[in-house]
Amino acid sequence: MKLLTDIKLLVKRPFLQEFHNPTWLFVSGSTPIMYLVLFMPLLKRLSSGPGFSTGNVIQLFLPGIIALLAFGTGNFAGFSTIFQLRNGFIERLRVTPASRFALLIGPILSSMAWSLIFSAVIVCLSVPFGFHIHLMGLLVYTLLLITMIILFSSISTSLAILAREISTFAAIVNGINLPLILLGGVMLPLTLAPNWMRFIAHVNPLYYVVEAGRALANGQIGVNAVGVAFAVMLPLTIIVLWWSMRIYSKAVS
Amino acid sequence: MVDEDTVLQTKNLRKTFISKKKKVEAVRGVDLLVKKGQIYGFLGPNGAGKTTTLRMLTTLLPIDEGEAIVAGYDVKRQPGEVRKHIGYVSQLGGSDDEATGRDDLLLQGQLYGMSLAASKKRASKLIEFLQLSEYADRKVITYSGGQRRRLDIAIGIMHQPDILFLDEPTTGLDPQNRAHMWQQIRILRNSGTTIFLTTHYLEEADILSDYLTIMDHGKIVAEGTPRELKREIAGDAIIIRPKLEGDTVTKIQKLVATKSFVKEARVEGESIHLYVEDGTQALPQIFALLESHKIALDTVSLAEPSLDDVFLKQTGRSLRDGEKNDEEGR
Repeated sequence: MKLLTDIKLLVKRPFLQEFHNPTWLFVSGSTPIMYLVLFMPLLKRLSSGPGFSTGNVIQLFLPGIIALLAFGTGNFAGFSTIFQLRNGFIERLRVTPASRFALLIGPILSSMAWSLIFSAVIVCLSVPFGFHIHLMGLLVYTLLLITMIILFSSISTSLAILAREISTFAAIVNGINLPLILLGGVMLPLTLAPNWMRFIAHVNPLYYVVEAGRALANGQIGVNAVGVAFAVMLPLTIIVLWWSMRIYSKAVS
Repeated sequence: MVDEDTVLQTKNLRKTFISKKKKVEAVRGVDLLVKKGQIYGFLGPNGAGKTTTLRMLTTLLPIDEGEAIVAGYDVKRQPGEVRKHIGYVSQLGGSDDEATGRDDLLLQGQLYGMSLAASKKRASKLIEFLQLSEYADRKVITYSGGQRRRLDIAIGIMHQPDILFLDEPTTGLDPQNRAHMWQQIRILRNSGTTIFLTTHYLEEADILSDYLTIMDHGKIVAEGTPRELKREIAGDAIIIRPKLEGDTVTKIQKLVATKSFVKEARVEGESIHLYVEDGTQALPQIFALLESHKIALDTVSLAEPSLDDVFLKQTGRSLRDGEKNDEEGR
């Protein structure tokens, strides 16, 4: 009970603060839209190539962009952790009787909520441009996105605590960002890729989510890719979350 | 082990860090005893191990060795209970830039399990008590240093803790705000809060502490009330400032150091500090000595011993030097 109250308090705070920050809302909301408007048209010409079996570009591209949004939300979560370490906010919370788990998961859930809200808006905006909504598929995809946000937020938060320096952390995060995105097949499906690329993509959790996402967006819930994605993401997320908890509760010394 | 008047007690508290493969003993066997209603001063230069001790007592850092009972609970075995009963204001503060002062207080109250209504009531009271009414509904990021510190303290006492830990509460404040903060801390003590205050400022420790512990290199080097500590330094300090600068100071130092009634002679900038048994008896002899060597004086003053003298006696160093470096480094 206390755990739920703590989580609620610690989610509400950053959620509302971001709601009252128009610059943040505008930039965060417009990034995925820019991909749709300024990148997707380039794919039209390619749509006869391999991996574009449906011929419907937006159906293929949108799940990747949503995964990208979720991945970014998680990957950059550590920046606020560093600021809160610096100004003593985390330390202040750690001296209160608030649940340790709530301290870690609160801000993660808040940014997750925003990420999912933006995704929902983009999905709706895409309908007039030919995106077919398969509701069940999208709901299952949401579950995958949730595990991915928790996974990458935990990693990012822990890296922030370990790195401490904002410059070091920024370098690490940006260093992981690009290879993971490219090897996730977010922009273009990896069916276009040479074998060696497809091979190393398999160590990238993002890859599984995007693959499953493309199937789920077409309403294919029972396909292999979906099962594999959950089989990879669930245990991985739990292990990483446990590791993060340890880092978090030992950390701030 | 604990009687009713005791809020905090430690026995042989220890902490060792491994830094670059070298063992650093930050806290080396510290025994503390804090009584209810006290301002307990914890003085020492930067790096003495004060903050490390504090972090162990506030459950932020695991205790390597030794025991600590805070607010009636064992810090090692019942950190959760300890957290419910202590307040902590770190050097960094900890208020949330993006929130208003009031909202920040409400968050704190509710994290301690207070209802929203009770939190609101308590927040209003503290806002008035710490003179924050004008700013309470503005974002913390707009606060001045002094206002922010007052909010930090309000956050720390939101749940009426048995003991409030204040880590260097006036570092970075200007003299006026510092004096104001001292006043607030006293009012807080008078209203019944036990305060554990770490500081590296001598005057702060002297003026505020009901009981004082001086720490250096991870160990306690002296403890008592500031008066007791200063009384232990038998005798007086004479400060001589010659008219001519330069060599004269060292010359005087050499001269007076040979006299048996001078316990110690130390050059500090352009003046010499002498420690003598009895100032009124020593002064005429010093005047005579200096006159015979034709040394003209600018000023001479007789001072009672300060906490710096206490620290000097125990460690052979001046705490004042550290304070100066600190100011310059800023």
